[in-house]
Amino acid sequence: MNALQAPAAPPALKPVRARRAARPVGLLAVSTLIAALLAVPLVFLLIESHAAGWHTVAAQIVRPLTGTLLWNTVRLTVVVTVLCAFLGTVTAWLVERTDLPGRRFFAVLLVVPLAIPDFVVSFGWSSLFVWVQGFQGAVLVMTLAVYPLVYLPVAASLRAADPGQEEVSRSLGVGRLRTFVRITLGQARGAILGGCLLVVLVLLAEYGAFEMLGYQTFTTEIFTNLQLPTEVPTSCALALVLVAISLVVLAGEARWRGGGRIARSGPMAPRAMPPLRLGRAATAASLAGVCLLIALAVGLPTGASIYWIVEGGVPSVSNSVSVSMLSAAWHTAAYGVCAGALDTLLALPLAVLAIRHSGAVRQFLERSTYLVLAMPGVVIALALTYFTEQYLGSAGYQTAPLLVICYTIMFFPLALVGVKAAIARAPASLDEVARSLGQSRLAAFSRVTLRLAAPGLAAAFCLVFLEVVTELTATLILVPTGVQTLATQFWQYQSSLSYAQAAPFALVMIALATVPSVVLGRFFNVSAKAQGSAT
Amino acid sequence: MRQLAVTDLHKAFGRHPVLMGLNLDVSAGSFTAILGPSGSGKTTLLRLLAGFERPDAGTITIGERVVDGPGSHVPPERRKIGYVPQEGALFPHLTVDKNVGFGLPPRQRRSSRTAELLDAVGLTGMGSRYPHELSGGQQQRVSLARALAIRPEVVLLDEPFSSLDAHMRASVRADVHAICRAAGTTAILVTHDQDEALSMADRIAVLRDGRIIQYSAPQNLYSRPADPALARFVGDANLLDGELCDPAAPGMVETALGLLPLEPDSMAVSGSGPVTVLIRPEQLELVSEGAGASGDPGTIGGQVVAYEYYGHDAVVRIRPDGAAASHEVMIRTVGDARLAVGATVKIRARGPVVAWRR
Repeated sequence: MNALQAPAAPPALKPVRARRAARPVGLLAVSTLIAALLAVPLVFLLIESHAAGWHTVAAQIVRPLTGTLLWNTVRLTVVVTVLCAFLGTVTAWLVERTDLPGRRFFAVLLVVPLAIPDFVVSFGWSSLFVWVQGFQGAVLVMTLAVYPLVYLPVAASLRAADPGQEEVSRSLGVGRLRTFVRITLGQARGAILGGCLLVVLVLLAEYGAFEMLGYQTFTTEIFTNLQLPTEVPTSCALALVLVAISLVVLAGEARWRGGGRIARSGPMAPRAMPPLRLGRAATAASLAGVCLLIALAVGLPTGASIYWIVEGGVPSVSNSVSVSMLSAAWHTAAYGVCAGALDTLLALPLAVLAIRHSGAVRQFLERSTYLVLAMPGVVIALALTYFTEQYLGSAGYQTAPLLVICYTIMFFPLALVGVKAAIARAPASLDEVARSLGQSRLAAFSRVTLRLAAPGLAAAFCLVFLEVVTELTATLILVPTGVQTLATQFWQYQSSLSYAQAAPFALVMIALATVPSVVLGRFFNVSAKAQGSAT
Repeated sequence: MRQLAVTDLHKAFGRHPVLMGLNLDVSAGSFTAILGPSGSGKTTLLRLLAGFERPDAGTITIGERVVDGPGSHVPPERRKIGYVPQEGALFPHLTVDKNVGFGLPPRQRRSSRTAELLDAVGLTGMGSRYPHELSGGQQQRVSLARALAIRPEVVLLDEPFSSLDAHMRASVRADVHAICRAAGTTAILVTHDQDEALSMADRIAVLRDGRIIQYSAPQNLYSRPADPALARFVGDANLLDGELCDPAAPGMVETALGLLPLEPDSMAVSGSGPVTVLIRPEQLELVSEGAGASGDPGTIGGQVVAYEYYGHDAVVRIRPDGAAASHEVMIRTVGDARLAVGATVKIRARGPVVAWRR
């Protein structure tokens, strides 16, 4: 109704408007639409809870079960996060700062677990060892599956850190160990914290691995309830608690990180740091430790899959899965490509806004998209299910577009981080030079910014693709009827204890997810080199 | 002939005014420097000229065309302004050839034009290199060639030498100056370095608090600055208290260094009363002990307070006899004879000098 009155603004405002014409109106409008799309799940979760009645929802929260789930979730999160922080930081330090033999090789192998879905790690362990179950099993499996989320940012920050600070610290009479604690860890603090945040978010969202291990968390419980249509209030209640926990974690991390900004005087490209020389004993112990970690995290899950194929007899297994394998691989790749392309495209306007412009509105828009991080896949899938039931008469439910939209929303923050980094590699001044040379705004953007950002955009695309390939929870809920992806087909086989049939799917998923990982690794190596040569 | 005209230009960022009624005329083929301390608004002025920002009020005319005026704004790509930013800003993904040809229509990109331009900037045969394979000075030359390729009406140079090493700066400066001259281009250089402005420009516009406070040839700016603060900004300056004594000695000023003649078109040439007098260090000389009787009216005694040796010359700080402890003067001399601190010397000032009423 107010929209009708808006054009009749008082004439006094006119000059102000004219001056603000330089504001990126189109960009802001598009970004607002995207932010609105991303907010859909949260909004519908609230609408659905409202429809179910807040009293009913509240009654569902105040139950002994909630306490159990909370205790399970919290103790697992704390233990796994601490273990991941330790493993990720130590391995990153060994690879980046010491003369550990073969450290370039380990730098690649240590990241490989990212390409192995958590539920495949879980499958590898629990199918071979009966004792891998419950709390202890969940700790073991999740630590091995997600420590690279700490390793990657810490390694990057150690590589980029200014070695001068450590040298100054030593010259001021501070010993090697205290320098490590006060300076090196201090420099990596933001990276460790950021990595831990990702670990916590993954743990809160995980379904497959815990279901296999018989470990009950909010996410597994929501999933179980989802299959019973009468349990809408319960699902809503649990989802709200889960979102609340995620929000607390996000807010805590933002607050904690805000304390220390990394300031550096002088040029941004640091010198290479001479690696620390490990003694003979330390080298042997470190090598053994890193090799053991890789064996447990990479070797065992892949080995177990190969073991089950051999055990089932290769010819019979290949006959029984070859047709379904092709179809599943095709669907998985198609969904991954669609979601990856859509996410990269949608992240572009917000990234340009965030990097090239300032202002309260753009900050709000950018931050609001990170709310998606607080929405585990199961909650987004749940909200989208309610949405289609409520407004589309279930017309869109379990269709390919809805699944792709679900992926797009889930992995948008990931894409945004990558696209922002990509846009940041193309300084705005280059666009200005291009315009002064007679290029229109659009021509300048495509001839300069997009070209420079292309490798980063490809990396963002690959990251989303990788996540889609290894996604299970939302896929199980929203996969089109009659269609199987690699993950759902694997899940079906292993649920019926057909390990020999499940194992090939695990291997293909790992292979499909490794391709983007390699591309990602190449991109970050190349960009590090380009930065080095620029000085 | 006038090539660029700026009239009553205003620009503010939020509530912070940057340019407040700036006026500037630049004639065709000239090399003009915009000189100002950091934060004086010179980069904003350049960005307004290039069209990257829109003025709040005022007009900008390039050639015959009003590019910014009430209700009109020509976007940067249609201004024909060559822009050479700090650090060159070459496109890192393109070779030198493609950088230089970037603004040319597709058909001309492979013509001999880029090779000609590379010859002109002294980079013959480097066309297939990438920017990161060039030195800082070479990158600046490519950046200039790229700007000249579109045959711009005006070339804007935004502190292009500040990122270069001191020894390279001088040679790149000279080359850029020569290249712009040879191309017959009107050039505007923004800088905070007065040596750069004095040595390169035909005319210098000094920017302070969002306005041009003086616009004149380098020699004029140095010898007849508009006010004492500007005198200090464009070079070393001795600012002394003086007294005009018009009825007794017209056109003369009484200072601690004796009675000195005033510049004919100085700001305060007649009347009487207290003034501030500018004496450049080169206007003072040391008089050897033997020369001139001790009662010579032109010389005055003093004591050496400090001696700084620079190789090509030396700066001696001297307290004139009878002056307060804080009133030292600075003298530039050929620095072969070292003077001990505390030594007594004789100095003589050479007029004419500039004075402002206090």
